[in-house]
Amino acid sequence: MGRYIIRRVLLGAATLLLVTFVLHLLTTFAIQLNGSPALAFFGDRIPTDAQLAAVEERYGLDDPCYDQTGNPCLGPYVERLGAYAQGDFGTNLRGREVTDIVATAAPNTLKLFAIVTVTWFVLGMGLGSAAARWRGRSADHGIRMTSVLIDAFPIFVLLLVYRYVFAVPLSDWARSTFGDDSMVALWFRPSFDADHPWATVLVPGILLGLAGSAAFIRLVRASQLESYAGEHVRTARSRGLAERHVVLHHVVRNSSVPVVTAVGLTFTEALAGAVITEGMMNIYGMGGVLWEAVRGNDVALVVGIVTILAIVTVVVMLVVDIAYAALDPRIRYA
Amino acid sequence: MEIEIQAGTEAGVPAPETAQERTVGTTLLEVSDLAVEFRTDDGTVRAVDGLSYRVEAGRTLALVGESGCGKSVSSLAVMGLLPATAHVVAGQVRYRGDDLLAMPRTRHRAHCGRHVAMVFQDALAALNPVHTVGYQLTESLRARAGMSRRESRRRAVELLDLVKVPNAAQRIDEYPHQFSGGMRQRVMIASALAMDPDVLIADEPTTALDVTVQAQVMRLLAEIQAERQMGLVLITHDLGVVAGVADDVTVMYAGRAVERSAVRDLYAAPAHPYTRSLLRSVPRLGTRDDGHDDAHDGARRGRLPVVPGRPPSPGHVPSGCPFHPRCDMARDVCATDRPPLAEVAAGRSSACHFADELLGGDRG
Repeated sequence: MGRYIIRRVLLGAATLLLVTFVLHLLTTFAIQLNGSPALAFFGDRIPTDAQLAAVEERYGLDDPCYDQTGNPCLGPYVERLGAYAQGDFGTNLRGREVTDIVATAAPNTLKLFAIVTVTWFVLGMGLGSAAARWRGRSADHGIRMTSVLIDAFPIFVLLLVYRYVFAVPLSDWARSTFGDDSMVALWFRPSFDADHPWATVLVPGILLGLAGSAAFIRLVRASQLESYAGEHVRTARSRGLAERHVVLHHVVRNSSVPVVTAVGLTFTEALAGAVITEGMMNIYGMGGVLWEAVRGNDVALVVGIVTILAIVTVVVMLVVDIAYAALDPRIRYA
Repeated sequence: MEIEIQAGTEAGVPAPETAQERTVGTTLLEVSDLAVEFRTDDGTVRAVDGLSYRVEAGRTLALVGESGCGKSVSSLAVMGLLPATAHVVAGQVRYRGDDLLAMPRTRHRAHCGRHVAMVFQDALAALNPVHTVGYQLTESLRARAGMSRRESRRRAVELLDLVKVPNAAQRIDEYPHQFSGGMRQRVMIASALAMDPDVLIADEPTTALDVTVQAQVMRLLAEIQAERQMGLVLITHDLGVVAGVADDVTVMYAGRAVERSAVRDLYAAPAHPYTRSLLRSVPRLGTRDDGHDDAHDGARRGRLPVVPGRPPSPGHVPSGCPFHPRCDMARDVCATDRPPLAEVAAGRSSACHFADELLGGDRG
C-alpha cells in the first residue's frame, strides 16, 4: 500500500509539472502573438515606453523571449516554479496577491462542490441502487427515464429556469411565511450572500449536482447489476444471509469501486459547471474570478488560478486512486 | 480432528436443535418430483423434470450427468437460488419433513447455510474479492448468530485448520486472490461448514482444479463428511471421481434421473446404456480389469470411447427415451415410449426398456 501511494504521489507531481508547463507555453505564445498584456494595466490610456517597461518588469514580462515568436521562454518558467515553491503566485493587475484572491474565492467554490458531491451520492446511490434492485420493473424504467430527462436539461437551462421562473416567487413565499432573515428565505435567494455562504449556495449546488447525477445514476445501476449477477452474491445468499445484508455487503460494497472512480472524473466536469453556476448565481468563487481574469487579460491571475485548480484536481485524483486501492484489495497488492 | 464447529453453544451460537440426532441413515433432505422451468425467447424450457432423490445422514449421494442435464439447476432450486428466469413448477424439497419450497422466501433462506449449505464450482468467482477470507468464513456467524468479532476470528482460524489450510492464523487476513486454486476451494468448503450444516451440496467442487489437487480436495470432503455424519450431495460429470467417495449414485440425463443405484452395483453392472457409456469413457490405468469390466477391453488400447452425439438441449428433448438417438441398443419402441424410472433389482432403478437385458449379462 505504501509503495502504491508513493507511486501515485510521484505521478501526480509529474502531472502537475506537465500542466504548468503546457499552461506556460500557451500563455507565452498568447503574449508573443497578441502583444504585451501589460498594456491591459493601463486600460484606455496609452502608456509611455518607460511606464510600460516598469509594468512589464513588475509582472515578469520584461524577458526578451516574449518578443520572439516561438521561443518557449524556459527562463521565466523556471523562475515561476521557484516562486510557486515559496508560495508566491504573483499579483493581479491591481496589485492584489493571487493567493489572497483565491483564499476568499476558493471556500465558496469548495462549498459548492461539497453540495454537488453530496447530491451526486444521494441521487446516484439512491436511485441507481433502486433501479438495479428492481431491474425491469416500473421503478427501474421510471428512474432511467428520469436520468435521460436530466440529461436533456443542461446546467445553464436548469439555472435559468430556476432563477427567472422559480427563485422570485419561492423567495417571496419564504419571506412572507418564515420571515426575511429565516433560513428558508436564504435558501431561495436568487443571488449569493457572502454572510450566509452555505445557505445561498445550497440550491445552485443541488441543481449543479442534479445536472451531473444522470450519468452517475446509470453508472451505479450498471455496476450494481454486474454485482448482482456475480457468483459471490449467490454464495452470500447460500449462506442464508438476509437480502439486506447481501445487498449492502456484497452488491453495494463491490460496486463502490467503479463509482468512486467516477466521482473523480465527474469532479473535473463539475469544475466547468462551476464557472457557469457561479457566473449565473453571482457566487464569488474560483470560476467567476477566472472568468473575469480571462476577460481582463490578467495573465498572472489566469495562470495562478488554473495552476491552483490543477493542484486541486490532481489531489482529488490522488484521493480517488487511494480510495480505489482501499476498496479493492486486488489493486492494493498488484 | 476434533469437531470444534459442532460445539456451537459454547460460542453463543444456538446449536441446531437437530444436530444431535444426526445418526447414520436419518433422512435429512428429500427431493421429490422436482421440476424446474426456464423462460426463454423460444418459450418455456424444462431443465429439471420429475427429479427425486434422498440424502441421508452419513451418506454421500452423487448426482452425475453431462453439463446441461439439470444437476446444478436442481441444487440451485433446493437452495432457493434459481436465477430470475427460472422457477420451480412442481415438486417438494423436504428438509427433515418441512417443505422448503412451500415456505416463504425468508424462511427458506434461513435454512440455507445453517441446515443445507452449498459449495460452488469456481471458488475464485464464488468468493467475494473485496472481503478477507476470514470475513467470509464467519460472515454468517456474525450476521446471523451475533458472534463477536474476536470470537469470529478464532472460529475462522478453526475453520481453516479444519480444511487443512496451513498458517491459518495469518491467512484469515488475506484475500481470495492471494490463495492458490486448491486452497481457495478449501476456503469455500470451510465457509460452507461455518454453521455446521446437516447437508452439504458440492457442485463440481474439483472441476476447476488440477488433477492432484482434485484428489486432495475430494479426500478432504469425504473425511469431513464422515467425521460429521453429514449428508453430502456431490454433483459431478466425472464418474471416476464418484467411485471412491459416493455411496449412492443418481445418473441424470436431460433433466431426469435415468438410473439410481448403490455405487458398487452401478460400477459392477450399469442398468442404463447411458451409465454404461459414461463408465466406458472413464480413463483407467493398468491392463485388463477382472470380470465385470471386460466388456471394455476392446477399447482399452488406443482411443478412449466417448458417448456419441451431444446431450440434447433442454428445449429439444427427443421423443420417447431422450437418450435413444445416442444409444447403441435403441430399438423402435425407444423412439416412441418413454421408459419410466422403475425398480429393476433390489435398490436399483433404471429408466430403460431393456434394463433387464443389460443386467442379464448382455454385452451390447
